[in-house]
Amino acid sequence: MRLIECKGLSKSYGSKQALKQVDLSLEAGEPIALVGPNGAGKTTLFSLLCGYITPTAGEVRILGHKPGDNALLGRVASLPQDASLDPNFDVLTQLVLFATLQGFSKADAKAEALRVLSLVDLADCASQKPKSLSHGMAKRVAIAQALIGSPELVLLDEPTAGLDPANAKKIRELVTELAGKTTFIISSHNLDELEKLCGQVLYLELGQLTQSVSMDDNQQDQYLTLTMQQCDPDKILAAVMALPDISSIEKKQHNEFLIKHNSEEAYAIESALFSLFKHNNWQYKAILRGRTLEDKLFS
Amino acid sequence: MENSPHNNNLRNTLLLAQFEVKKMLFNPRGMIALAAFALVWLLILLYPVRGASEFLLTPSYKDLIEGIFGPQVVGELFKWSVAELAIYWIASLYLFPLFSIFIAADQFSSDKARGTFRFLTLRTSRDSIFFGRFIGYMIIQTMLVSLTVLATIVLAVSRETTLLIPALTSGLMVTVNLIIVLLPYTALMAILSLYANSARQATIYAILIWAAMSITIGIINNFLPIISELKWILPGSQISLMINTQGLASFAYAPVALLQTAVLLLLGRMYIKRSAL
Repeated sequence: MRLIECKGLSKSYGSKQALKQVDLSLEAGEPIALVGPNGAGKTTLFSLLCGYITPTAGEVRILGHKPGDNALLGRVASLPQDASLDPNFDVLTQLVLFATLQGFSKADAKAEALRVLSLVDLADCASQKPKSLSHGMAKRVAIAQALIGSPELVLLDEPTAGLDPANAKKIRELVTELAGKTTFIISSHNLDELEKLCGQVLYLELGQLTQSVSMDDNQQDQYLTLTMQQCDPDKILAAVMALPDISSIEKKQHNEFLIKHNSEEAYAIESALFSLFKHNNWQYKAILRGRTLEDKLFS
Repeated sequence: MENSPHNNNLRNTLLLAQFEVKKMLFNPRGMIALAAFALVWLLILLYPVRGASEFLLTPSYKDLIEGIFGPQVVGELFKWSVAELAIYWIASLYLFPLFSIFIAADQFSSDKARGTFRFLTLRTSRDSIFFGRFIGYMIIQTMLVSLTVLATIVLAVSRETTLLIPALTSGLMVTVNLIIVLLPYTALMAILSLYANSARQATIYAILIWAAMSITIGIINNFLPIISELKWILPGSQISLMINTQGLASFAYAPVALLQTAVLLLLGRMYIKRSAL
């Protein structure tokens, strides 16, 4: 059974069409990224998948059921954007309620609430009220609640936005660790992060699904992304272009170059590059096989 | 338990109702509201209710009251075996619905505005959220009604100990009748608080609805008396008639409130299913 199936999915708010005829079919497995500019319809798509809102046209099926169906309760979880916990109760009480609603007994619910809080390093804050938490801590609590009962599908809307680098890393590690049991769909503007986490990237623009990129497509073999330390870009461009089997080299960002080649031999280009660096005493920072997600999406 | 094997709707409805009661009783805002409620009732109990025996049992006062309001309007009032409960009955019939509008105004509005429902709807059905909250608020009001009735019984018994049994019987009937009266108010407030963005807004909508409907019904009654029965659609329309009833006779008006509640709950259920949370 497919994890998610959308056919002709559209959503309008008054005269504004937030989603236009989105067709989508996703299988359970590696984390899936949802990317797009502000206002592209990412949160609307998430809200439709969670059943918070109903589509204007088209249909959605999650694990064969309509969003909001009783059969999906406890199997799908989400970190919603702009949602906060009840300020009247401490974090633990609310997480225990959520777990109890998912069918846990009272004792098990408490253990489960503490388990998910410790996953995000917040077991110490269990007795605090939501208002006393910082923005980042509140976000981690919201991520923790999405993990209660190990659901099959977890939708994370900008999970690391507003988190400090150490905690953002921790969340990425958590997603990687849980990815075997749970399929994550992650919406984020941080392409580097998505590149590390996800196997597939969906690109949404002006309410339409314009691209679906797989991280391990065959085209990866034709590209190398080279990042140098201090260098003279013109010299690099000329020297690399002079190497055999190089189709093109393009300067991207600061000291970053995208090389396209047609070499059939494994590591031939990489070896040639290392010889070149050694000969000229150039310091490289990184060589990435393939293109960065940013290049894939925007070139 | 790793996954959630069952999601029992009824169990979750009761869980949410219980959580709502806890919210009212154990958080500062709820406690302040309860303290205000207790103070108002203390005043009512100490003055009009405690002095009730004097008013209702002294023939000269009785003649005076009948002279002012007419025997048809207040006749039943003198037949109550426990005078304190008679006065309590009048005060509570008007005051509790008013309290209900304020108490039940935040059944959904703050949680909806804050997005808190988004944490609940993936774990439990919207039906259980709707009915859980409604039941929770009815439990809170039942507790408040029962406490004030008990306080009235204590007042009556402290005057005359032989009144214990009639006070308990009457008190029970008053309690059940009042709960029935409050049902449609709470159900209407559930719908309004689903629509509103804050409790205050829901209260304002409630005042507007009651005022607008009373005026409309008044106009219709005046020009088209043939459809005067339309008045029964407004929650609380039976209250003025209930004042001059007592005991089992008061239950004659229960079907009106129960029917209103059923219709309102059905509408509310449809609304929460369709609304964006």
